[in-house]
This record gives sequence, structure tokens and C-alpha cells, in this order.
Amino acid sequence: MQLSGLKYGAQLLQLVDFPVPEFLTGGAASGEIQAMLDRHRRLVVKPVFHVGVGKKGKAGLVRVVDSLPAALEAKRALYFATHQHGTQTLRANGVTFEEFVESDIEIYFAILESTRRRKPIFSLSPWGGVDIETLGPDKLAHVWIDPFIGLKSFDITNALNDLGCPPRYISPLVQALPRLWDLYESYGLSTIELNPIRIKRAGAGYVPVACDIKAAFDQDNPAWRRAGLPPGIFQQDTSPFEAEINQLRTYQGQSDVLDLNPAGTILPFMFGGGANSAATETLGDRALFTSDFGGNPPYEKMYEIARIALRYHLDRANVLLVIGGKANNTDIYITFRGIFDALRDHAAAQGRVAPVFVVIGRGGPNLIKGMVYARDILDSLKLPYRMFGYDTSMILTLEYAKRIDEWWGREGRRRYLETTTS
Amino acid sequence: MRQLKTRPFPYYVGIHSLEELITRDSRVCVVNILGTESRKVTPVSHAYSGGNVVAGVQYGRTDKLETPLGDIPVYPSVREVMKRGHHFDVGVIYLPPSAVAQAASELVSFNDALKRIVIITEKVATRDSRNIRFLCQEAGVDVIGCNCLGVANAWDHVRIGGALGGDHPEETLRAGSVAIHSNSGNFTTTIAEYLRTAGFGLSTVVSSGKDVYIHFALAEFLYAAQNDPRTKAVALYAEPGGYYEQEALRMIQERHFGFNKPIVVCVTGRWKKDLLKACGHAGALAGSGDDALSKERWFDEYFGTPVFDPEHPVVSKRGVRIPSIQAFPTAMKAVFQAIDEKPDFAAEGDLSLKLWLRDTLLPLPEALEIPLVTPLKPYDEQLALFNKQVGAQFLRQNMRNTSGASRMDPTTQVAELNGTSILELAERTLEENIFFALARVKPQAEDVRRTNLLLNLFLGLEAADYAVVERARAAHATPNAYLAGVTAALGDPPALRRVREHTRFLIDTIREFSLDEQTARFPEALDAHLAGRLFAPETPPEEERLAVLYKEVRAGARGNIVLRLARHALETAEKQGVHLRDPWTFLVAALATATFWRPLLHKRLSRQTVEDATSYLQTIARMVACSVIDRPHNKRWAALTQGDRTARLTDSFTENAFWVLFNRAPNDVERIEFKYLIGLTLTNGPGTLSAKGAKESVSARNHISMAFVGFLANTGLSHGGNGFEAVEYLLERFRDTGLKDPGSPDHGLDLKALAAQAAKDYAVFKRDAKRQGALRVKPIPCINHPVFKGSPVNIDPREDFIRKQCAERKIYNVFQEWYHRLVEELFHQGVTPNVFCVNIDAVLAVISLKLVWKDLQDRTLTLAQLQELVFDLFLFGRMVGVAAEIIDHRDRGTDLDCRTPLGELKFVL
Repeated sequence: MQLSGLKYGAQLLQLVDFPVPEFLTGGAASGEIQAMLDRHRRLVVKPVFHVGVGKKGKAGLVRVVDSLPAALEAKRALYFATHQHGTQTLRANGVTFEEFVESDIEIYFAILESTRRRKPIFSLSPWGGVDIETLGPDKLAHVWIDPFIGLKSFDITNALNDLGCPPRYISPLVQALPRLWDLYESYGLSTIELNPIRIKRAGAGYVPVACDIKAAFDQDNPAWRRAGLPPGIFQQDTSPFEAEINQLRTYQGQSDVLDLNPAGTILPFMFGGGANSAATETLGDRALFTSDFGGNPPYEKMYEIARIALRYHLDRANVLLVIGGKANNTDIYITFRGIFDALRDHAAAQGRVAPVFVVIGRGGPNLIKGMVYARDILDSLKLPYRMFGYDTSMILTLEYAKRIDEWWGREGRRRYLETTTS
Repeated sequence: MRQLKTRPFPYYVGIHSLEELITRDSRVCVVNILGTESRKVTPVSHAYSGGNVVAGVQYGRTDKLETPLGDIPVYPSVREVMKRGHHFDVGVIYLPPSAVAQAASELVSFNDALKRIVIITEKVATRDSRNIRFLCQEAGVDVIGCNCLGVANAWDHVRIGGALGGDHPEETLRAGSVAIHSNSGNFTTTIAEYLRTAGFGLSTVVSSGKDVYIHFALAEFLYAAQNDPRTKAVALYAEPGGYYEQEALRMIQERHFGFNKPIVVCVTGRWKKDLLKACGHAGALAGSGDDALSKERWFDEYFGTPVFDPEHPVVSKRGVRIPSIQAFPTAMKAVFQAIDEKPDFAAEGDLSLKLWLRDTLLPLPEALEIPLVTPLKPYDEQLALFNKQVGAQFLRQNMRNTSGASRMDPTTQVAELNGTSILELAERTLEENIFFALARVKPQAEDVRRTNLLLNLFLGLEAADYAVVERARAAHATPNAYLAGVTAALGDPPALRRVREHTRFLIDTIREFSLDEQTARFPEALDAHLAGRLFAPETPPEEERLAVLYKEVRAGARGNIVLRLARHALETAEKQGVHLRDPWTFLVAALATATFWRPLLHKRLSRQTVEDATSYLQTIARMVACSVIDRPHNKRWAALTQGDRTARLTDSFTENAFWVLFNRAPNDVERIEFKYLIGLTLTNGPGTLSAKGAKESVSARNHISMAFVGFLANTGLSHGGNGFEAVEYLLERFRDTGLKDPGSPDHGLDLKALAAQAAKDYAVFKRDAKRQGALRVKPIPCINHPVFKGSPVNIDPREDFIRKQCAERKIYNVFQEWYHRLVEELFHQGVTPNVFCVNIDAVLAVISLKLVWKDLQDRTLTLAQLQELVFDLFLFGRMVGVAAEIIDHRDRGTDLDCRTPLGELKFVL
């Protein structure tokens, strides 16, 4: 749950009256853009990405324009701009036209949780507007925050003084920055990064203006809803499958899924964070999605999860895999009942049984009861299966599932259909 | 701010050695002890740990939790626990996420002796976790979790918090010399299992959790492992996200504390590095420096050796990183060799592929074929036990106001039975719906045939039963009353009990001898098994319908294992020159079991329901038999219920039920209309009086027949009577119209004028009633609905559905059309504020009246009989839905679960 840019970031910052530049979204009429140019002389045009991506400036995705034709040309170029982020290519969906804030300084400011110190910290630099990783310790301060007090003025003052910030900007920053803790604390944020904050002249004084924002929300903290952001903005990067499963998210039992490879051929029900991590790594691009359904989900939840997963993915799968270590508290019988009842009902609703090979590697409470339940359903559906005991290496089971997957795609499915239809 | 610090850490750590993290002396208080999770886990932990839980908290309740070592007292708050004089030093929190920080604060506030808090809850907000850390750091309390499975000390047999080691911790938590720290709770146990295969036991294991905040992190764990004389090596499992490992290794390398024990570590999650959103544990997202590759590098640099290769095992004395968790045993062995130590005990098994269960459907290529092995103990015994089980199993729970059989969609007001809308079920025959009520799936052709046979078989009535009916009628009892009388007397007769016993025997035999449709030849031992139970030298008494049953069993034996087995029993008896001891009940049991075998295997219904299937069918058939309207003239009824009843045994039960009520065969249109009448009244959800009556009777642990009596006792004139009121109203409006055939669109009536007159009459009636001071004017039956109202033109979608279905089939009903004119006229004349809907009850009334119109005109049916008939029609449908409700409650409910809690009861003056 992340957002970047002013399109929605401004709404967030305005909750604590943190100044932002005037801006228009990509749908603005030419007249509006011209009027804004008349007021501010220059505009910054940026693509809108829904997740927090950095280094846009470096990638040439930020343009400063001083005429309407240039603004419209920048809009054309950036509206659907792509940006490489790790191995993923992200596509923009819109632009913003932002007031160019005249400033002779750019401030970097962020609040996040530090796992080194196990505390929230703020990071501050008067040498912002650049890639923060390039700044040495003499130009970037990390100061921990007492969560019961919040950002302390003297910490900000000391940090700015130590880092060589011109004194005239210290007071306006000391007044404005503590508000960001209120935002961070009250609206369920897990990270907020303003880079750059530019400082504009306002009468005799100065006003810090947040010219770009990246923020991430803690999805376990319902406080993010208070921000009143359109809920759709967090769904745009969620596939329909993920979105449907996410609706089942409760504290009882995990229900994390992430689509991996739509051309994958293994439909995996993974149980436990460890199994999720290890199995996804072993299956590689064979997995249609990655999942964690551990945490002892109740029957109803497991059934619904399986029903959705089968509806989206079963027809593409060679192998239906149920994998996990030796569960501590997850009731194997309950989870298997959920999965295989859903498989049975899916077949009944479709009026046909999708040919799929079932591989199971699992351990835990009620294991045999669960395996026998699965076996009976699979026998009645006439589906082939192999179930391995918990005294088998999970990785070997995964490797075996990959071999079955390969065989099923090559000839197993054909042979199965010949056998069952003869 | 100043901070409490314990050297060598720049923060508070209260644990010097793993040995003291939790011990036999630790005393525990569990918060939310009666929650779903804790209720199962805490008793096991308590017993394993020698009874270390002194008390629990369940907000607002004083209670107890039963454990094998006696009850744990439960109090409404931590303050109360302290007040009662309980002493504890470890708090365990099982609450939902939003309440966790509060509970930590409560534990710290009320117990100065508190040393540790273990938080099991997952999905705790980072903000709360951060506040917990600050709070506990200030108070000098160590926290394990959140999102973890707690801690276990294998030497002292202590487990605190979650379910490490599952239901049988002693199996997994063998004492030894390896300490585990794992980001995954499941892997904590899995790694322990893996290590055991190479002869390594455990000292103390910690499921650390994998949220952003790991409160008992690697640095303090390694420090405590170093100071633990039991621990010779450490097994770590780490995932992306967080710099905990880097900090720990930095502290060692910078000599903040000495550490010289080897570590075997597995890092997984390379695939997460490109993610832009979290999945599973709170992992590193793209672009951060704490991804899996970074963590691997930190460890590799610390060890000074490359990743472990089982083929060429090279490790350093500092340890080694392994590529996947399956290398833990071999790598640990290599590490122990490097430090000149021996495993804790002899190796137990290995991690090779062990196939426990497989299909027999499809042979695989040799390379993929793995030999089946017998599961290790006690799983082999469990397998033998569960192999005998068949059918769906349901969790027992309080089923008051709860149903797994029916529900009502509050928006559409369309009820569902076993997940299927009654509108869809209204297209099916009575026998199909009876099968569906029991089996929860649509029947196949042979299922329908056998269901008909069994229902018709029981469509009999004793003379004494009919005497009850006649006496009740003479006393003006309603049909539900005399049906209840006869049904109550059904009880659970010996014949039904024998059918149940035979059913059990058939199922057990099939499971015990592993028989199925693929079985080519019955095992030899089977014959002796059958003979011992079924055969007798004496010839059984002749029974007129036995021949039909024999024929049916033999005919159906080809594709059904139950009937194959039954036929085999018959043939074996013949061969041995003996007879079935009780052929009637055996054959009925065989047919009933065969009928429900497929859904039983598909786990649609429970074994108990199959065993009871005959009871349901008999009760339903008996109720239909009792409902005859014109007994003296109904020859078909006489043939069905008395004398030679072999002739019509395989007829459609729908057809026979129609005969019982109308004393004639239905035509094609009437057959459809009759199905609508039955289908639409199958259920109205579990909140209906009829369903509640049956459920309450089950809750009191009555026989099935008495559960039907509960339903019958809870129906009355407001059910069937409502339909009759509408019929009466229609009769009044159409009495003198000369209508000949209500099914013909060429009826010659001016419906608009008739409706206008009815609207006018009602307007006058309403005005007069108000003038006389009536607070509520009696409404016209079957119009308007509490949900489908308020629009300019209102429609009850259920009535609309049937109307359209009929239109499609060119089935006309003058009464229904008239009703639609009436609601328009009522609006046009200002009687109603908008066009009311014609509701679903109207469908029942107009079809009922249409079916009997000719009989009424011919005076072969009296008004009193019509009233009975309308009531019976309602009962016919509802008894089927109620059968599903009874099955569901018997499967899932508990004794007396329908009692109303004291707090919900009210007293009024």
C-alpha cells in the first residue's frame, strides 16, 4: 500500500497542513495550465505512478517547462511513461503539472522504522533532491524518535545545524517537520519520504513546500482509512485474483497471495511464511502465484480462498500443490477439507473435472485425517495424486512436483485423459 | 531520552543465557486464554510444561480452562489475576491485533514481577509493536514476537506461547545441543524435525516472528546461546527484511560480545527482491538493502566459506550457509565434525521422498514412480483407522439460529436449500428434491429411480394410523396435527434399526476390504465375513415386495459397489445353500446406501445421514400417505398404501403424491405447477418457525420422526391458512363469474373490470373500517411485501420469476393475471400509494385454486377439504426442506444448543 507523487500525496499532507505546491492533474484544460504558468512562470511535469518509485529525475521523467506547448509536449511524453524498477517495468497513468517552487535549498526528510535500532527514526538532509544513498554521513542525519513524544524540535535543530543548513531555514523547518510525525502516527503510515522539500520565500519569512512524496501504509493498521484517500488507489496494482483474496484478510489465518507468472503451471497452496519463501524460490516461474495460507485458517476462510484460487487458476495448472512444513497449530484436516471441498464444488459447478495432478507435502495436527479426506475426494473425482509424509524434505517434494509438472505438460495429461475416458 | 541498557547492548535485554529464557520455574498467565487458538494450544503446553499456567484472562468472564493437569482458573482481567494471589513472570497474548498493545500495557502495569511477554498474534500494526517495545524497554520486560509461535526449552520440557511441536511437542522437541532461531514458526518445528534425522536434539528454540519489529532478535539470541552451556551450535532461518542479522554479526565482529559457536543458516526469499508489495512475512521490498541476497552475503562474509554443498561439504568453525532447509542435517553434521563434537543421539530416518498415499488410476514413468511406504508410528495406526471412515464430517457447534442447510438472501428474499435457490429447485420433481435434501447434490437417473422405489415402499399406512387421522379430523384438528400424531407414533422401530445396522455393516465392509468400483474380484475372506453376519439356514418368511427389491439390487449391481457387494452376498448365500437372515431390511439398506453412496464418497453428506436415510424417507412417505383428502374415493391411494403394493413401486413419487391429494393423475401443465408449489415452499431459511421447531427437537436429542413432529407442531393456520385465506378471497371474487377453465386465456372474463370492482370494494371496506376506529385494516392477501415496496411499481422477483417461467411454457393462470390487474387498480383508485407487488404467496394460492377449480365447480371437493389440501401442499414442500434442516442440525449441533441464553430472556408485566 504505497503512494507517490502529489496527486494523492497532497491530500495526505494537507491533513496536517503541510504546504504543497499548487498543481493540476493530467486532465487539466490548456487554459488552466496557461493560467498556472502565468502565476508561477515555470511548471514541473511528472508522471503519476501508483507505487513509491524513486530516481524519476535521474530517469528523465521529471520535466521543467515554461510554456504551454512545452507543458503539453511533456504531458504527451510522460503520460504513459515507463520506469524500470528492479526487474519490473512500471507504467505511469497520468501526469501532474506542479508549481515550480523557487528555492536555493532542497531538503530531504523521511520517517521510517529502523530495524537496526528498533525505533522509528527520522532522516534529514539539507542536501536533498538527490539520490539519498549517495550522501555521506556528514550530509545526512538519522535521529531516533520517542514515539510517545514525537519529533522533537531540538533534534531537528541540532541535526540541521550539524549538517550545515543555513540558519534562516532552520526555524521554518522546525515548525513544519514535526507535523509529519502526526501524519505518520495518526494515519497508519510505515514510511514517509519528502524529497525534495523546497523552501520558498513568503513575505519576510520562508515556507517549506513538499515537492514530492513517497509514502507507504501499514496494511495492518486500519488508521490509514482515516486519511480519506480513494481506496481504489491501492487496488490499481492488485490483480483481480489478489483483490478477491485480500477481501478475506482477517487476523485469523494468513491469506497472502501474489500473482507471479500467468504462464505458470503449478497452482500452489503454501502454508507458512517459511514454506512460502522456500517454495516460491524452488518452484521459480512454474508457480502461478505465491501464497501463505498458514496461521490455522478456519474452514470457511480456507474454502473461500481455495474456491477463488481454483476459479482463477485451475484451468491453467498441471499440478495442484499443497505444501508446508510440519505445522504446529494449523489443523491439516480443516485446511485440506477447505481445499478439497472447494475442488469438488468447483468441478460440480463447472460440470467437469479439470485434469490436474495433485502433489501434497505436509505435516501437522490431524495430518492423516486430512490426507484421507483429500484422498477420498480425489478418488471420487478420479484425479491422480501423490501425498508425501512430513518426514520427507519439503524441497524434495517441491522438486518432485516440478518433475510431475514437466511430465504432465509433455504427456501425462494426454495419458490421463486417455485412461479416464476409455 | 535516557534508555535502560544492559551491556553489551545499547538497549535492555533481560536474558543472559538461553537456558534461563524459559524454565521449569517460569509461571505463565495467558491473555485471551479461551480464544479459539489458545483453547486448543494452552492445555497441551500446560501439560507438556508440568502445569506452568497459573491463570488466564478472558475479558469480562470468570471461567476455567480444562487441561489434562486440571483446570486453569480464568479471570476477567490481569488485575483480577493478581488480586487472587497468582504469581507469574511470563505473559502470553493471544488477542486480536488491535487489542495486543493494550494487553501488553496491562500486563506491565499490574505485575511488577513480569519478565517476559510472548505475543502470538499476527497482523499487529507496526505502530503498536513499536509502542510495545518502548513500553517494555522502559519496564525491563523482554518480548518474544509478535506473529510468532513462542519459545520451547527441550531440556526442561517447557513450551510457552504458541504450538511449537504441535499437538505432541515431546515428539519434536528432543533434548540436545542445537538452539534454533527462526523467522518462521512452522520452520522452527520443521528444522527441529530435520535435525532429528541426523541425530541432533535441541536446547532452546525461539520462533522470533517476522514482523518489522523482531523484539527478541538475533543479536540477543546469539549472546544468550553463547552463554548457554547446553548449546553447542545454532540453526538459523532468516528471510528478507530488516537488518537484524547484520547487526548481530557486526556486534560479534566488533567484539561487543564473544561468540564462538557455529551457526548453520538458511536464508530464503531471493524472489522477493523485485516485489513492490509485501507477501508472507514482512519481507524486504525492491530497492532496500536488506533483501535475501544481502543477507546471504552478510553470512558468507562472516563464515568465510561459500554456500554449503552437500556433495562437497566445506564448513568453517563459524558455520556455514545452506542453500535450502533440507541441508540442515548434513551441514550440522559437518559443522559438528569441524568443532570435534558428536551428534546428540543416533540418526533417526532421513529426508528422502516418502510416499504415504497415492492413486491407483494412472501409472507414472519409472523415474517418477516412488514406492509407497508405511507411515511411521502413530500415523500408520491412524491411517488404518481413518481408512474405515467415509463421508463428510462436520464440526460440532451451537446451531441455534444457525444453519448449514438453508439461508435467506435478505435482498432478493429468495431462500436457498443446500446452496441452491428454491427457484431452481422449483423446476425439479418431489423425489429429486427429497434426494437433494439428503444428499446435497442433484440426483442421477439411477438415484431418482431408487429414491422413488424407497419412498413408494414406505407409502403405506396402518389402519390404526388412519384411525388417528379420522379422529383428529372429526375434532377439527388441522392437518399438521394429525400428521404429527401418526409421525410421533413412528418412533424408531426395530426394522429401521436393523436397516441402520445393515447400512453400517455394508459401509464398514467396503472400507475394511478396500472395495471400490475398480475392484475386479472380491477377496476370499469376504465370504466368511458376509456369512457370519448375514446368513442363516432358515428360509425367511415370504414378503410380497421382496422380489422387487431383489430385482432392483441385481439390476443396479453393475456400476455400484454397494449393490455389487449386496448381490455378491445373495449369490454367496445361494452357493452355500443358506438364506439372508433378514432379507427385507438388508435389501432396503443396500438400496438406500447405494442411492447415497456417490455423495457419501464425495463427502457431501455424513455417514450418519446415510445410515438414517431410510428413516427420513419413511417419515416423509408416511406423512404423504396420511394426507389423503378423499380417502373413500381415492382408489389409487388404496392401491398404494394397502393390499398388493408391488404394482406402483417404481412410479414417480411426485405423481403418487399428486394422486393422494387430488385423486387423479396430473396433466403436463399440472405436473409443472405442482413442482412449483412444492419447490417454492421448501424453505424460507432457518429463522422460520417450521425450521426452528425441527431444530429444537433435534437439540433435545429426539428421534428423526420426532424432529419432524417438531416441525409439524410449529406450523399452523398462519402457514397453510394464509394460502387458504387467499384462496377464499379469490373464490369470493370469482364465484359468480362462470369461469370454466382458469388455465385458458380464452376465459371470456373482463379481468380489468373484475379487478376494478375488487379495488372499489376494498376501498369501501377500508373506509368503513377506519370510520369504526380500526387501527389496522385487514389487508388483501398476497399483495405487498415488507422488502419489495416503496417503488412506483413493485415486483416480488420470486413471483415474477414463476410468472415468466409459466409464460415461456405457455401456462396461463387467470387468477395470477387478475392479481396483477388488482394491484394496478388499487393504485389507480388511490387505495394504495403505489403499485403493490403480487407476492410469492399469491403464486401458491393461484396455482392451488387452479388445480382444484374444476373439482370445486363439480362439488367433488368441499371447502373444508380445500383448506386441508392447501395446508397439505405447504407441508409437502416444507417437510423436504425441514429434512435437510434436521440432517444439518444432527450433523453439526450439540445437545440442548437451542436453549435461549438467560441474558436474552425478558419478563413483561
